[in-house]
This record gives sequence, C-alpha cells and structure tokens, in this order.
Amino acid sequence: MIKVTINGREVQLDKQVTILEAARRAGIKIPTLCHFEGLEMYGGCRLCLVEVEKMPRLQTSCTLMVTDGMVITTESEQIAAARRGMLEFILTNHPLDCPFCDKAGECELQDLVYLYGGTEGRFTEPKAKHPESNVDPILARNIERCISCTRCVRMCDGVVGASAISMINRGRHTVMEPFSGGKFDCEYCGNCLTVCPVGSILSRLYKETYRPWQVERTVRTVCGHCGVGCSYDLQVRDEAIKRVIPRIGEGLNRGLLCARGRFGYEFVGAKDRLKKPLVRRDGNLVETTWDEALGFIAAKLSEVIKTHGGEAVAGIASVRCTNEDNYVFQKFMRGVVGTNNIDSAARMGFSGAQAYLESLRGQGVSANVIAGLAKSDVIFVAGGDPTMVTPILGLEIRGAAKKGAKIISLDPAPGLEFFNPHKIVPSLFAEGAVLESLLCRAVSARGMTGELPHLEEAIRAAVSAECAGVAAQSGVPDAEIEKASATISGSQSPAFVIGPDIVQRADGNRNLFLLAALSYVTGGRIFLLSGKANEQGAVDMGCLPDTLPGGRPLAIDGFRKRHEDACGMSVPAREGLSLMEMFPAMADGRIKALYVIGENPAFNLPGGNSIKSALEKLDLLVVQDIFLTETAKMADIVLPALSWAEKDGTFTNLERRIQRVRRGVNREGREDWRILCDLAGRMGAAMEYASSEAVMSEIARVSPVHRDLHYSDIEAGAMQWPYHGEPLRGEASTVSLVTASARPTVGSGRFALLVDRPLFQSGTLTRRSKALLKLIPKATVKMNPLDAASLGISGGIVRVSSDAGSVELEAVIDSSVQMGAVKISNHFEGAGVFGLMTKPPVDPVTKAPAFEGCLVAVEPLKGDAKS
Amino acid sequence: MEKVLLANIDNPKSAEIGVYEASGGYDSLRKSLELAPDDIIETVKKANLRGRGGAGFPTGMKWMFASKDPKFPKYLVCNADEGEPGTFKDRPILEKNPHILIEGMAISGHALKAEFGYIYLRGEYPAAKGILEEAIRQAEAKGYIGDNMMGSGRNFKLAVHQGAGAYICGEETALIESLEGKKGHPRIKPPFPVNVGAWGMPTIVNNVETLSNMPFLMRVGPEAYAAIGSKECPGPKLFCVSGHVNKPGVYELPMGVTLREIIYDHCGGIKNGKTLKAVIPGGISTPVLPPDKIDCPMDFVNMPKHGSMLGSGAVIVMDESVCLVKVCLRALKFFEHESCGKCTPCRDGVSWLRQVLARIEGGEGRPGDIELLSEVAGNITGKTFCPLGDGAASVVLNFIKHFRDEFDMHIARKGCPIK
Amino acid sequence: MKSQIADELECVKAKYPAERAALLPALYLAQRKYGWLSAEAMDEVSRELRVPKATVRGVATFYAMYRHKQVGRNVIQLCTNVSCMILGAERLVDIIREKYGVEPGGTSADGRFSLVIMECIGACGTAPAMLVNTDFHESLTQENIVTILEGYR
Repeated sequence: MIKVTINGREVQLDKQVTILEAARRAGIKIPTLCHFEGLEMYGGCRLCLVEVEKMPRLQTSCTLMVTDGMVITTESEQIAAARRGMLEFILTNHPLDCPFCDKAGECELQDLVYLYGGTEGRFTEPKAKHPESNVDPILARNIERCISCTRCVRMCDGVVGASAISMINRGRHTVMEPFSGGKFDCEYCGNCLTVCPVGSILSRLYKETYRPWQVERTVRTVCGHCGVGCSYDLQVRDEAIKRVIPRIGEGLNRGLLCARGRFGYEFVGAKDRLKKPLVRRDGNLVETTWDEALGFIAAKLSEVIKTHGGEAVAGIASVRCTNEDNYVFQKFMRGVVGTNNIDSAARMGFSGAQAYLESLRGQGVSANVIAGLAKSDVIFVAGGDPTMVTPILGLEIRGAAKKGAKIISLDPAPGLEFFNPHKIVPSLFAEGAVLESLLCRAVSARGMTGELPHLEEAIRAAVSAECAGVAAQSGVPDAEIEKASATISGSQSPAFVIGPDIVQRADGNRNLFLLAALSYVTGGRIFLLSGKANEQGAVDMGCLPDTLPGGRPLAIDGFRKRHEDACGMSVPAREGLSLMEMFPAMADGRIKALYVIGENPAFNLPGGNSIKSALEKLDLLVVQDIFLTETAKMADIVLPALSWAEKDGTFTNLERRIQRVRRGVNREGREDWRILCDLAGRMGAAMEYASSEAVMSEIARVSPVHRDLHYSDIEAGAMQWPYHGEPLRGEASTVSLVTASARPTVGSGRFALLVDRPLFQSGTLTRRSKALLKLIPKATVKMNPLDAASLGISGGIVRVSSDAGSVELEAVIDSSVQMGAVKISNHFEGAGVFGLMTKPPVDPVTKAPAFEGCLVAVEPLKGDAKS
Repeated sequence: MEKVLLANIDNPKSAEIGVYEASGGYDSLRKSLELAPDDIIETVKKANLRGRGGAGFPTGMKWMFASKDPKFPKYLVCNADEGEPGTFKDRPILEKNPHILIEGMAISGHALKAEFGYIYLRGEYPAAKGILEEAIRQAEAKGYIGDNMMGSGRNFKLAVHQGAGAYICGEETALIESLEGKKGHPRIKPPFPVNVGAWGMPTIVNNVETLSNMPFLMRVGPEAYAAIGSKECPGPKLFCVSGHVNKPGVYELPMGVTLREIIYDHCGGIKNGKTLKAVIPGGISTPVLPPDKIDCPMDFVNMPKHGSMLGSGAVIVMDESVCLVKVCLRALKFFEHESCGKCTPCRDGVSWLRQVLARIEGGEGRPGDIELLSEVAGNITGKTFCPLGDGAASVVLNFIKHFRDEFDMHIARKGCPIK
Repeated sequence: MKSQIADELECVKAKYPAERAALLPALYLAQRKYGWLSAEAMDEVSRELRVPKATVRGVATFYAMYRHKQVGRNVIQLCTNVSCMILGAERLVDIIREKYGVEPGGTSADGRFSLVIMECIGACGTAPAMLVNTDFHESLTQENIVTILEGYR
C-alpha cells in the first residue's frame, strides 16, 4: 500500500501509479493536453505540472510515479502561473480561429485557456502559416492548430500499429504528416481523430456542417459492419447520422474503431433507400401500400404451400439483421410456412466451419474473448488478413505482437507485415499440406491428453509417422515448417485465428480438422473470423437448415419437441436445404418460393448466372431489404426494411458476445421482425411482440443457450458465452472428415481467381457509403508484379475472363498477391468476383462454397494498358 | 604537466596502433583485466573522476549503479556527439588518438561487465568515423578487444554508430534513442539508463574524454590521479579555446586552472591587442561572463560559485568588436534549431525568445522587450523536459544580466551601436 | 527484387541487437545511393528494415544531415555558429552566394554546389570552418574559401 498526500488529502494506492492517476482516483483533476489514457507516456505539454515536496522543480504528474509518503500540491499560484505560461506558449503557434473551427465547443485547448486565462496576448511576432490540407478524401489536416501533443502519432503508431503518420522535422517546425505529406493513404481508422485535442485532424464527412452542441441525440450502439461488434455512439441531428464517435476505454474495442465502422455510416441516409413496398406489375416494380403488399405475399405464399407443401419454400436470413429479426424469421419459416429450408450467408464459411469445429472440440469452442489475444504468446493466422476482415481483432493481434507474441501467418497477411510475422506462403491452395505437417510435428512434440478420444482417434489416423516431407507439395521447405512448429509447440497459450479463405476450399473441412486438431494438441484457442455483424447471431437463432435456436440439432426428436412446446409452433422433422443447395432446387422446381431478408444472393453468392436463372424460375420471390439490390430487382415483391441504425435489437459477435443495437435515427418503416409478424397474422398464425425486447424474452425461453437472458442482463454485462444457458455437450462423436479428391478446376486461364477482402469495402452497405467509396471507388483486379510484368501490364484496364463471363477492370499491382493468382472483390455491381465463378464446388461437410479452381485469363486491353 | 589525453598527437602517425603501443598503450588494459571489475569501479571512485561531458557527474557512482543492476547484457556507450557550440575537445582524441579511447572503453567495459560498446559519433565528424573504425580493426587484430581480450576470457565488441546532426543527442537518453534508430527525443527519467538504457538494458553513457582518462588513471592509480588539479574534481582536462585569442586550440591542463590563465597564459591573450569583452567559459549553454569575472577556477565545483559552469570546457573569447545581442541571437537560433520539439516551453518559448531577439538586433526593438525576454525565459526555466530549453533561457537571462546596456542601446538606437 | 543497399545493410545490422537500430546507417546508405532521401529511398529503407515508412520519414527529417531534396554535386556545410560568426563566417556566406549563386538551403543553378548552414562542426579553434562533402576546411578567409571551392567541380 502506497500512501500519498494530494492537496492535503491522504490517498491510498494499491500499486504504483503516476501522480496524475493517483489524483484522478482521488477525484482531483489535473489539466493535461498530451496525456491520453492508453497512449504511451509523453510528458511534452507541461500542463500537468505539480509541486512535489522535496523536489526542486515542478514535476509533470503524467510521468512521475508516486512513492510512499509523497506530498503533492496540484493547484497553487506558482502552478497556475506555470500553466498559464505553457498555454501562452502554445498560443504563440495557434491561430485562435475558434469561431470557424469544428472543434470549438469540445476543444481541450479552448477549455484550458478558458480555465486558466490567457495573459494579455504578449506574443506579437508573426505566427507560422500552414494552409489546411484537404487533399485527402476523408481527413482534413490543419497544422496551424496543432499543438504537437503527438497524441495522434502515438495512437497510430503505438496503439493501432498502422504507423501511417509521424511528426516530421523537429523543434518549432515539427508537423504531423502522413508519409506522402498530403493524402493519408492509411488504414483510415480515424483513431487519430478521437485523440486530437484540437481541430487539427478533422473528418471531412461532417466538417463545417454543424457544431458539436447542435447534436440532438447521442445513442450508444454496436457497429453494423463486421463480426467484432465495436461499441460506439451515433450522433444524430435532423434524423441523420452526423458522426460516429467511440467512447474511450469502453466496449470490447475500448474506444478504437476501423474505417468501416467510423466512416461507413452514410448508407443509412442514402438517397436510394427503399421507402415504399414495391410490387411487380407488367414486369415492372411499382410502389404499393404495405397492406396490398403483405396481402399479396400472404395469398401467394399460402397458395405455394397449399399446392406444393411448405418444403417448396426456402428462406434466406440475414447476417446483418438483429437476433430478433432472425429469430422471428426462422420461426415464421418453420412454424408458419412449415419448412427447414433456412440458411443465411453465414453458410459462405462461418456457420459450417463453426459447426464442424464444435463437432470436433465442443460447442462454444470459438467463443473466445478477443481481448484474450493479448495474452497469447503465439498467434497463428490462417485464411485471411484479420486486420482487414475484422480490423479491431487485427489490432489485438498487433498489440500482442508488440508485447512479444510471435505471429505466424499462413498465406500473406499484409496488415501484419511490420509485426515481425513468420510468413509461410505455400503454393496456391496447398495450405492443407502445411497444416498436416505442423500437426504431425505437434503430435510428436506434445503427445495427446486423451481428453477427446474421438478427435484423437481421427488425429492418429490423419498424421503420418514420419513428419518430414509431408508438406512437400506445398512448396514450403521442411526447415521453415519446423521453425514454425517449434514456435507453436513452445507456446503456453497459442491462438489460432481462422479466416474465411482457408474454409472456402474444396477441402475446407480438412483444413478445419487440421486446425482444430492442432489447436487441441497445443492447447490453443480458436478465433473464427466473421466479416458480418451478426453472422453468429443468425447461426445461434437457428437460421440453419438442421439446427434450432440455441444450437440444438432438429433431427433429434427430443430437442425438436422441447422447442415446439416452448414456442408453441410445430417444426418439420426433416432437415432443410443449405444455402448452396437451394439454388439447384429452385432450378429443378423443387423450390417454388424464396423469402429473403437482408441478403442479396443474386450478387453475393458465387455461381454467376446459375443463381440468377434459378431465381428466375421461382413462382414467388420476396425480398426485404433497405436497398433495391440485384436480387430485389428480380423480386415479385420488395419490402423496405430498416437499417441497424434505425431499430432496436441485439447482435451476437464472433466471440458470441450479445450486444444491444439501439435506434439512433427515426425513420418511417418497419423492422424485419415486425413485417414478418404482420405477415404471419395474415396467414392465420399469431406472432405478436410488443417490442424487440419481447422477442428476446421469447428467445430466452426457447433457446437453451439463451436461457433467462433479457435486455437488462445483456446491458448489465451478462452477455458473454455461455450466458446463463446450457451449451450442447457430448453430442458429436464422429469425425466426418472428407478427404479432398483431385483439385477441381474450371476454365482455361492461367490465373487462379481469389476473393479480395479489402479493408475499406465489405459489400452492400459500404458501397453506399460515400466516404468509403472515395477510398475504393471501383472494382479492381489485383495481381502480382511479376505476373503483371509477364503480360506487359503496369496498370490500366484489363479484361478478366472465366467460363462464366468476363469483366473489364483496372489492374492494381500488389506484391501481396501470390504468383499465379488474381484477386477481385465482390463489392461493385457488375464487377463482382462471384459473377465470374461458375457453380463452385461445395464442401460436403461445411456446405460452404469453394473459391478455388476457377481459372481466369487476364489480358491487357489495347490502348488502355500503359506500356 | 605531462600530456595524457593528447600524448603523441603531434606525431602524424599518432592514430596508428604501433605509435600508441610504443608509449605504453594497452598496458593499462592488460593490467586492468587482471583486476576484478568492482575493484576498477572502486579505483575510479577513489580517483574522484567526474564525467567530462558537461554535467560533471561522478563516474564511479554511475558505474556502480549500472554494475549493481542484475540485467545483462550491459552496454557501454561513448558519447562522441560533442555538439555544444564552441566545443572541439574530443575531436583530437577521435581523429588523432583513437586508441586511448578504445583502451579506455575496453577497461571500462571490463569494469562494467559490458561486452558491447558503441561510440556514438556525431555526423559532423566524417573523418573520425574511418579513423575509429580502422583503429578498432587494429585493436581487434591484436586481440586487445573483441572475443577473449588478451586471453582474459572477457569479451568486448566495439562499433561506431554515426549520428546525423542533432545536438539533443548529446543528452544521454536522446543518444540512446538515436542509437536504437529513433528520433533523438529524451526519455522520461526515471528509469535511468544505468538501469533501463539501450534496448532496455543497463547502459552507461560516458563522454570521450572521460573514457580516455581511464588508461592513465589505471596506470598511475587513484592517488596520483587525484593529486592533479582541483581537489574536488581532479585530473587532466581538455579546454578548447576559440574566438579572439592569439592561440586558439585544444589545451590539456589540470582541472581548476583559471579562465584568466587559459586566456592570457596559454592562449597568448586577446588577438590584435584588443580588449576582452565577454567569455563563454564552457560552451554556449553556460552563462556568459564579463571580463571582471575571469579569475574563476575552471572545474565543476567552483565555476557555479562564480556564476557560470565548466560545461564542456569550451571557452569562447569575445573582444570589444563583438555585438553581444547578435551573439545571444545566434545562440538562440541554435537552440531553436536544435530543440527536439517535444516539450512546449522549449519548442515555442525558445522560438519566441529568438523572435524577440531578432527584432531587437534588427533595430525593431521596443521598450519592454527586455522585460518580456526575461519573463518568457523565466516561464521556460525549470519547466522543460530536458536541460536544452533551460540552457537557452539561461543564455538570455545571463546576457541580459551582464550586458543589459547593450540590449537597451539596441532598442534606443534602433540597431547595433557597434556597427 | 533485392535492393542495392541490402548487402551493405546486412553488415550494419550485425552490429546491433535489433534491426531497427540500423535505421540511421541505412538512411546514410540510401542517401549515398539516391543522392537524397526521396520517397523511393525511404520506402526502400522501410522495406529493408521492416520499419513503417512514415516512421522512417519521421526519423529522417529529425536529423539535420539527411537531405530531403535533390542536392548539388558538392555540399558546402558552412558553420555560422558563434565561434565562426565572430570570426567572419557570415561574410563567407555572402561570398558563396555572390560567387556561385547559391542561397543557404539551396543549390546553384548548375547543380555544382548546395549550401547548408551548419550549427557547430567542432572546428571552433580554427574558425571559420566548413565541410565540403566529407572534407574539413578550416581557418577560412575571404580569400582562401574561393580557392578551396574551386577545387570542387
């Protein structure tokens, strides 16, 4: 116990902290400018000077640690004079343009000058001039206002690890600049904005459009982009989101955000949001009333059910909708329509992977807290760059690396480049051989515990006695694998971060088995990356063809009966079709009607025209969405839904943390669940809830995992797996490992087509966010410099052709793309990577489509290719 | 007095190892390697060797702190970044007597159980880099340093790290940052480098001259060493004299020699028979002295009693033709240029001082400017992160203190009265 | 695609326990190769040492001896600090300006000389002094400076 006296008051501390922190705990505020919670100590602004007995000079309270018996004074005439002096110095280089500075009203410098008073402007020399830089599309940089506190740089460098900005020059000429001196060309997380105490870094999204005190509403919610689930505040004025700001230290993101989260909100106010229901008349979609639209659906859907049975209907749930929406959707499909043909885009990798990993290692195996990555000493990253797919989780990996954790990346992860990764880059699609070799070595190094006999049996069957040479076909030398293996085997707490790319393989299940086995043998935790806000929620709510809410297999009668009793509706006994199985069924007439909420299969699923032609065969296609998507354009009826910013509910993130989504913007329209309840009523089934909270009450009754979980519990923090519920135990005992047959290939080009997952775009929502569009305005094809050179390409427009068609895109030379591959994203209309893929193979275990084996040709277009 | 640090430097081949060996070079190292490391530290304490970089901190005490820290490896860093204007005392050692430094570092490395040494050499001494590297090669070839020094079982690897033009890197924590490949920003203290220095390990930073004292100190022993010069801080000291004296240059003299003796006895008095106007006794950051204050003994203990500091022993002598406002302005330009920019008072305050001085010197001074200078300097004093800003403020305060008339005259006559 | 500074840098890295410490020497190497620290040069250093390029730039611009624009064939680094100033260094600046048409911080039109005003270069006893490229020239006078500079083409 350390005892100190601050301003005559005794303060007891359990450990050594700075004077500043000790004072804070005693409720004494010491002014600061360069200090910021969570950033590296600096001691530059000299505002926090205090008197410490027996020390001759004033001391900076932000850097000096307390010692027992220390006597500290934080306010005196001497201190006030010193602080006034420091402020006077700062103002010698500050324009005092507060009347038109965006920061006015929430400027820390302004507040301090107000508090201590500027002396009567004794500085009469000319002030340095730096015109504001607005060359960057997102961030404005105003150096005249900069007070050189370096908070932005310490954030960018020390916390985010992007190291995109630095203080250049020295002394009075020190200025904050990105490398280029103009555009930031950074990760655009905007965390520099959060920490800037003055108006030096400003978001151009809302610059000069309002003053901070004009915000009408500040609503705490969870980000609607990826599966991390960062907390932040929506600030709203005139029913439009003015800005998104995080709260320091709060949420699992602890106040950090990424580009999509911070700048990707403009889609909410997009002009092309759907406003009224649309119905197809004479081949065209025309506006109609809710009453007419719902009446039409009820009649048509009933007719299909009556004629062909409920199993002729399929439903696609949404990985962007809330748990409440998805719960009601599956209830509607099962109880009202009578089908288990329910799935969501989580099937693209996440849901099947999780189900398989859980069958191997138990339910909840991937429900690990992201912050726990910081405690890992080895982090194995496979199947995608976490800094792009799930940026805040990526930061956690960087943070661990800074603390000394070793990073091993299987396949390139450019966002971890400066964190000393051990990069293993096997030949294309040959990750499995590396994993097998690693597993073999891990088993011989660490043995097995006997804890999970079914898994161990499978492991023994899978590994060879001789580990050398196992990875031969991967092209990675044994020595390199041995080095990685030694790192993993020597780890006390390894983490395995599994991204979509390694799942979306023809032998994805084998990769997952090897990873599950490797994590089992080494005692590692699994993190399954999720690129959408509520992928986990869609799964947990039972938007799966074989699983009820709470992860109970519906094929087991006991579970099904219990569920039927709890929700008061019957559930068909037969498992339904998974996402990729639905389309062949539509094509051959087994499925006649499709109900889609918040998803865009015509664009977001691989298979090109085969998906579209399957949709065309339907008798009824209903789409609930916030935009007229490619799928909505084909629909018989389109219902306008509300975005995540406009409704209440919950999301479940990739750690299985359930968090509250709150309405920030009031907009006319209905939540997806409310639409479905109305429809159910019209179809003669009573589904009525007063609010999303009432839906959650039912979930808490129906789902064994979510037992007794109410909004109040979630808000009080009981939102982390396994809540108060009962995870499923001991159900799976067999390993359905399907060994890859010969690698499939389709097409005749020389490049393997890969899916690009950039940081600034993730599809439907981001492509309607103006700011993010400025960062990636259009689709591109990325290729390795050597491949590009061999085709005489150094940029310009190229044609990429597959069996499914061709697109013309700008070529981007990127050395992180492997030789022999090209990468295209799936974000821009008419230029999505999935449109180039003809009926991709589906993994028999995870039922995820495989994005491999699609070969494309690339040719420069005459006249456009630069020589 | 026998020349110790500058022995042989008149020999054109003084940098060669053979010349150094011929006058007993590396004998002290051989002898020291037979001693226990702590005994050497004890010897240094007994000799009362004080750091020659400017602050005069007792070397033995610094070594003891580092030696007691249980962490290994430890690093010995030679501060060869003499950037204090007026200072050029280390240059002759670096360029002409490199082996005395290498031997000194090897002895010190042994005493400190440090197996790695770096010479942080200022970027402005390009020639010295090649000379030092060649000398290190020679010493390694002879087995004096490197693995298993002279068969002692002790290792000492030495490398030269070239700075790139930043005065602040003379401050030991900034120097360590720079050695690590970072900007030369001073670090927060504590922890001190003796515990957490380069790459987080115990690190001893000593000046070139300090380390070069070691072979002699070990040869003659602490008693003989302590008998040289001032009682409070003994030993030979390099004084580098520039400006308006007849014989400027580097002088090796006993500690405690008076400023008057240096100027008039050793340097042949003021050039061209002019009169002395002002002396900066220890490099530009040390308080300027008027002619009536030059009878002070030049050492770390006595100079403060006479209103200045020994600093680096860089004596800048100015005759009657010099405009002191201009000198003060030039000094402040230097500090402004060299401020690292980290702390507010140094970054913005020093710049303000320079701007006001520039106005006064340029004939645009206003009544009240001198009071403003004093107040601004007062607001800087004691509030900066490191001593650089304090130094700048002290220069202004001392020039005003001793030569206020000249400032007043500049303001009254709207320009320099001397021109 | 191995960079040209890579080999020399390997030897430099070996001197330090951490790769990052080779940053200052690497910048000197890059400066020697490119003549100045262009974005390309700093990018190369960034890749070689795995130090983010903005960090490289921050460090490179902190130190006075790195060049951030194209310089002439010869760089005159003239000291004008107090010891040199009181012995006439400022007049030497004027002479260089008049004779070669080069301003402090600038480069002559023919690319022959760049002029950099230095803080103390440690030649105060033989002031005024300058470094031309890496050569010391001391005890300069209004007469001998031109003769010396004429030796640099």
